[in-house]
Amino acid sequence: MHYTPLPYLDPGSGSFLLQLAIAALLGLGVAIRASWGRIKGWFGVKTKPEDDDAESQDE
Amino acid sequence: MPNRKTNNGQLPASFRDPSGFLFSQGGTLYRQVNRAYEQEYARLMDSGLYEKLVKAGLLIPHVEVEQEPAESEAALRVIQPERVPFISHPYEWSFGQLKDAALATLAIQKRALKQDMSLKDASAYNIQFVRGKATLIDTLSFELYKEGEPWVAYRQFCQHFLAPLALMALTDVRLNQLLRVYIDGVPLDLASELLPSKTRFNFGLLTHIHLHAGAQRRYSGEEVKSRRGSMSRQAMIGLIDSLIASVQKLDWTPRGTEWGNYYDITNYSDAAFEHKKELVRAWTERIQPALVWDLGANNGIFSRVAGESGLYVVSFDIDPAAVEQNYRQAKKDKTGNLLPLLLDLTNPSPAIGWANRERESFGGRGPADLVLALAVIHHLAISNNVPLPQLAEFFAGTGRWLVIEFVPKSDSQVKKLLASRKDIFPTYVREGFETAFKRNFKIHEAVEVRESERVLYLMERV
Repeated sequence: MHYTPLPYLDPGSGSFLLQLAIAALLGLGVAIRASWGRIKGWFGVKTKPEDDDAESQDE
Repeated sequence: MPNRKTNNGQLPASFRDPSGFLFSQGGTLYRQVNRAYEQEYARLMDSGLYEKLVKAGLLIPHVEVEQEPAESEAALRVIQPERVPFISHPYEWSFGQLKDAALATLAIQKRALKQDMSLKDASAYNIQFVRGKATLIDTLSFELYKEGEPWVAYRQFCQHFLAPLALMALTDVRLNQLLRVYIDGVPLDLASELLPSKTRFNFGLLTHIHLHAGAQRRYSGEEVKSRRGSMSRQAMIGLIDSLIASVQKLDWTPRGTEWGNYYDITNYSDAAFEHKKELVRAWTERIQPALVWDLGANNGIFSRVAGESGLYVVSFDIDPAAVEQNYRQAKKDKTGNLLPLLLDLTNPSPAIGWANRERESFGGRGPADLVLALAVIHHLAISNNVPLPQLAEFFAGTGRWLVIEFVPKSDSQVKKLLASRKDIFPTYVREGFETAFKRNFKIHEAVEVRESERVLYLMERV
């Protein structure tokens, strides 16, 4: 694919290619976490909803 | 403050990004937003992202103003960001501060993605502590997110945050000083080499540092466009989540270091301690400074006394454990007017970066209105052999008012310093100290601290 526009900082070819190489794995991780949450939901286990404004750097 | 800006008022730390730059006019700080950044600025403001980030304390608030731009040809508009009381550099932060700055950057990126925006840089210098919280100060750091593309700031994030945090937590906490040498963050091949080999069994560090370093070596200079592949939004979220998990796993807790428990092993009594507090409180109220620098602050007990009335205190110490303790306490108490920082007074932060003007030196960010130098003079004069007149000159350059404690040779702390060396300091007595400091200061008060042999002075620069 074609990347536009070119960034003002050099992202580094290696850094780009590494991300592309692990993209599938990372995406899979997110999908598994999401479906695990749903499976737990069927058994009545509540998962914390992702709420923007409650999220905080104070953890 | 020499060389702080260029002809049109543009600040030397702000020249890389074509989206805009900082400039100063009549003592006020502005940011010019360029036309090239119109779409991105509109998305930031109109999507609600700006408001959300400001509300969460993650982004510096600004107002749009009618100020004449510094370079009108390129200009879209001028904004006036809230002024940060004191600009600090990542190598002056404790472990916890760098970790919070990293997590703030990632939290911003996650929220930005939801509004179809993405951070185009992840520089630690873009984060400052405002009201005690790690806050992004560069309003122009956002670009439009284009699904399929990897994160352009990934390399910078790993170099500025993940690598130094991992080195501090797993190799040695003092390795944050590498950031002073490497202004664009710790090179990943160096981090990979310095980290213990067990980190290869940690998925996050294996990927983001070790494999990342390998990929950089292998594909250096190769054209990315010609390669196929794409990164879905889900993968991008996975990447950010993985970075968050990697950062969160890293921890460093100070153990019994030289200073960590200083106040427990100190030689003064409760009465002396309370007397010092009373004097600092009374003199701070009398002077009413806006900015206080507490040099040799330890975990910040006296910084807190000085800051009781709400003025801003920067609390410097040489010991990473003391600074960490100080920061954790301030975070716990939500103390917004205290900034703990790491500083070696015998070798303070120099000006670094392009033309030595990008990041200001310790002295360049002054002077303060009031400097506290409590229980520090003996370390500088005796341990570091700095003659008293030079010390007086140094302190005169850092602030107008000075509260300084003279610790005589008969004091057990000084005796310890002299125990293993020759006493080559004949003038290090109260009279010698006063004579030296009178060249640069007017002594307003000299009070003997109760139940101790120490003297506390209030001086004003002449």
